[in-house]
Amino acid sequence: MTVDPNAATQSFPPEPARRAPGPARYLVPALVAGAVAVALGVYGRTHDPSGIAFNLAGFSSTGAVKSWLASTAFFFALVQLVSALMVYGRLPGPRWSATLHRWSGRIAFLVAVPVAVHCLYALGYQTYSTRVMWHSALGCFFFGAFSAKMLLLRSERLPAALLPLVGGLVLTALTLIWLTSAFWFFRTFGVTT
Amino acid sequence: MKRPGPLLTLLAGLLLAVFILTLDSTTGTRSASSTYEKPSSAKSPSAKPSPSAAVTSPSPAPKRSAAPAGVYTGRTDDDSSAVAVSLRGGKAIAYFCDGHNIESWLKGDVKGAGVMRLTGADGARLNGTLKGGGKLTGTADVGGGHYAFTLDRAKKPSGIYRANSQVAGARIVGGWIVLPGGRQVGIVTRDGKPAAAPAIDPETGAVTVDGQRLTARPVTP
Repeated sequence: MTVDPNAATQSFPPEPARRAPGPARYLVPALVAGAVAVALGVYGRTHDPSGIAFNLAGFSSTGAVKSWLASTAFFFALVQLVSALMVYGRLPGPRWSATLHRWSGRIAFLVAVPVAVHCLYALGYQTYSTRVMWHSALGCFFFGAFSAKMLLLRSERLPAALLPLVGGLVLTALTLIWLTSAFWFFRTFGVTT
Repeated sequence: MKRPGPLLTLLAGLLLAVFILTLDSTTGTRSASSTYEKPSSAKSPSAKPSPSAAVTSPSPAPKRSAAPAGVYTGRTDDDSSAVAVSLRGGKAIAYFCDGHNIESWLKGDVKGAGVMRLTGADGARLNGTLKGGGKLTGTADVGGGHYAFTLDRAKKPSGIYRANSQVAGARIVGGWIVLPGGRQVGIVTRDGKPAAAPAIDPETGAVTVDGQRLTARPVTP
């Protein structure tokens, strides 16, 4: 029996009989996703927004910092899309496309975290305009959906369409978040640092 | 244990978030108290939080726990004008504005029981008392009128904003009250002549006055 060392999306063969595929493997990610999204929203709603936070050196405003970080995350999200198509064989790709997918995703996520922390800590969950309302809601949704995606990755033998579907949701959410924040910021204030 | 990678990713994000939140709650507050000291100084608030800045400004931690802090916004009882009061460290700054031609900036101290008597230019006065439940009631004498008001404690981006600039040789002073729900009342004064102000973006304070882009800053004592 040969085991492909690059078969990252599967677990080791001896295990599958151990846990029968129950509803838990869908239920747990779904519940965690809901809990994460709701917790972020409730925190953003109840926490008294400070309006301020520490700023990175070299940038004119926290808005600029966040826009660039968010744009970085969005760039890596596009890498995610391309590398996912490679992993699924829809695009010709190198053998390390799975690694590329994993690490670009990690970077995108870790770059997005400071932006979200600033949003929730300094600005809070707001609904005073359509743009802001969608941004707040999608921001919470994104981290919930991302948590679900990460937890789903740990299950084996998922329906073939599930991971691409959840991944697509995460990517769509991030795109809309970026459009309602960084893209809006650059259009309103110019592409500044 | 199956494939710890995704879990580690989530964990790393969580740790990073906690780390930044810690930085925010320690450093961020200090930089604010050192940059927003006076409403009239149109200084950029993007100054980096540095230890020296924290030393020069009075340490906010012990004072803030004792003195009331926060922003209260609302309209006068006759619904003609908006009033906002910003409190911090035993001091108060208030802005009274009807959105057309009557406005006043007032300031003063907050006494122990949450009582404040604020004064402004041209004999303007504002007396207020902090009530329980996030209310602030009082009266204002501005521009020859006498107004009563009840204000509610507001969350950002509600509050008082101010911008100073020179546009085409004229000195521009803008004042805004952003009410809960996003309604704004503001006046821009060009060389002493007041007029209704264009709306600011409460999130960034950006506003365009006579074709020039200004940034209105939140006002705190």
